[in-house]
Amino acid sequence: MMLQHGSTQLLCLTASSGVPLFTRGASKQLPFSVIGSLNGVHMFGGGQGVVLSSCETEGGGKVVWRVFQDSVMLIIVSGGGQDGAGDIKEEEVRLQRLLENVWSCMVLVLGQDELTNVRNVERLKRDLRSCFSLIDQLLEDRQQGVLGNLTHCVDSLLPPNPTLLQEALDSFAQAADSEFGCLIVHGRIAAATEKWWRLAPQEVVLLSALIRSLTASGSASCDYPVFLPHGSPTVAHRLLRFQLLPGADVCVLCGPTPSLHSAESGMVGRFWTPLVETLRDCLAVGEHSLPKSVSLHPDVLALLLINRETRRSVSCVRTSTNRPLGDPPLPSKARCWEILKLFYIFSTTRYFNQEETLCVSPEERAQRGNTEDFICGFSHQPLQCYLVTEECKSYGLQTPQHQLFVLAPLSVPTFALRGVATQTLSDIVAGTGF
Amino acid sequence: MAQVLPSSGSIIVADWHRCKDSKEYFNKILHKKRRKNFGLLESPVMPPHVAVDTVHYKIFLSGKSGVGKTALAARLAGSNIPNMHYETTGIETTVVHWPVKLRENGRVFFFRLQLWDCGENALRRFDHLLPACKEQVDAVLFLFSFTDRTSFDDLSNQIAKWTGAPVGRVVKLVVGTKFDLFMHCDVAERDVTNFQETWSVPVLRVGGEVSDGLGDVAPLLNCLAEHLWHQDCVTAGSTRHHSQQETATVL
Repeated sequence: MMLQHGSTQLLCLTASSGVPLFTRGASKQLPFSVIGSLNGVHMFGGGQGVVLSSCETEGGGKVVWRVFQDSVMLIIVSGGGQDGAGDIKEEEVRLQRLLENVWSCMVLVLGQDELTNVRNVERLKRDLRSCFSLIDQLLEDRQQGVLGNLTHCVDSLLPPNPTLLQEALDSFAQAADSEFGCLIVHGRIAAATEKWWRLAPQEVVLLSALIRSLTASGSASCDYPVFLPHGSPTVAHRLLRFQLLPGADVCVLCGPTPSLHSAESGMVGRFWTPLVETLRDCLAVGEHSLPKSVSLHPDVLALLLINRETRRSVSCVRTSTNRPLGDPPLPSKARCWEILKLFYIFSTTRYFNQEETLCVSPEERAQRGNTEDFICGFSHQPLQCYLVTEECKSYGLQTPQHQLFVLAPLSVPTFALRGVATQTLSDIVAGTGF
Repeated sequence: MAQVLPSSGSIIVADWHRCKDSKEYFNKILHKKRRKNFGLLESPVMPPHVAVDTVHYKIFLSGKSGVGKTALAARLAGSNIPNMHYETTGIETTVVHWPVKLRENGRVFFFRLQLWDCGENALRRFDHLLPACKEQVDAVLFLFSFTDRTSFDDLSNQIAKWTGAPVGRVVKLVVGTKFDLFMHCDVAERDVTNFQETWSVPVLRVGGEVSDGLGDVAPLLNCLAEHLWHQDCVTAGSTRHHSQQETATVL
């Protein structure tokens, strides 16, 4: 056993020479000899024409290797036995996703050139430190209610007054000479310009993560150079972010103009002061993500709804549902978020299609083949699935446009789950047009 | 040219936050005994009969990587100080609202101090960041860490960069961070005194536990406010002027 149970450690080395660039995560670092061996065994495989992609340890641990752009090798080591983590397959999906996200966030902060044309390793080491804040956020993944890192469908919030916000955002972005703008409320996208949605899904998710970390610091505005891992990996854009109200931020991606100072003094007040009340209504939606006009079925404990076309998702965990005495206790809020993630991985690895990820090459996809077990055995595509555990019941369904994952208390009869799920889907879609 | 500096407490009432008559003003920047976080669309609002003017200032935080620029901004704004050091990879600004009473005529102003913080590595990697920080700047806080001698030795270089024609008139203050870590102190009191005499720039000290009160930030904010006000007076030749001065609209 290399690591403590439940901890994850990330190693980054140069792909060609195996020089360690950094390690993150886990309080106790792996000894240098272990890091060397992990790199060595991968290199040995390479010499024999074999790509070593992952392995399991006897204690339930897992190691995943990935080389990006022939320049950087990322190795992730998980201690296994993470609280409630499903079997080893779920863990692998989680780790693969994590590696993709870590690489993309390195590109986001430093740009691809700096990572692929390494002239001075010491300098690269120093520059890589600027990625640690985001990488640690991805590794810890503690933020409740954020599933986009996993699903690559951006966490959204459906505001009660979408048209007003959309108009304000469009004109604000236009005034800032930008086609890319978004309004983030409680860390979720409440409105975005058309072009923002045309960014690669992973970029939208990572930009949201970056904006969340900037929001957490309580700063009023930011001017951050960012590279877009898919759209612009070698030329930096400027991400301007303004905290309109605590919890509500507007962002635009710009070129050289306008300056932060002029955008802030000349545009923020002009476009957004008339909307203060609308923004407050939007903040009141809170972590439910859905406007009050949508009434959910009382048996829904938690839900994740994905729009497969727009690559957006809404999710919520309900705090208190009236529960008759004598019923088994409901899982805590934090636990519900955890189960929702696990059920998503469970369903998408076994039955449903996981939405395509742009950063995975076709060869790699074939190599990994998450859904292979089921797909190989059956000629049809499953539409619904359910899972009953000691804690709650889970139901998933997919249509050409949506995927819905619902958690319900154990007291709900299993045969009623399908009704609850289909009704929830139609209620939300009818009420919000999501 | 050596600046003529106001002596502490000569222009504004020092320790005003301890006086009874300041309560109603300081209450506006507090929420449940903690500092209130204002969005850009918000500001402290006084009742209609007490109209208070707000004066806006832009302050740049300068200092080498890891010296504590982000932590200082968080401390002055009363927000959570990050418990881990991460590089700031772009510009982050933090707004501090601070009520100030003038000694001369008893007038009260809200100072809106916008602190501009940008990581040293980002400044080096991207050319456009420093000009953005310098645009219309009113003051620079030069930071050094008491636990890092090189950051202290570098101060004169830093200050020199901000002296001379292209920059115009800016208030300059030096802030020593991590003053509480005396076990690791690398900068002697004597050196600080010498420095202060040579450059005639005030040196302030911060560090240690953050209390909920206003006491630990008041000396620095008042000193900064005093110098900013003094500079405005010198520039304008009168006591009542600021280019961005605006009357707080009271609903």
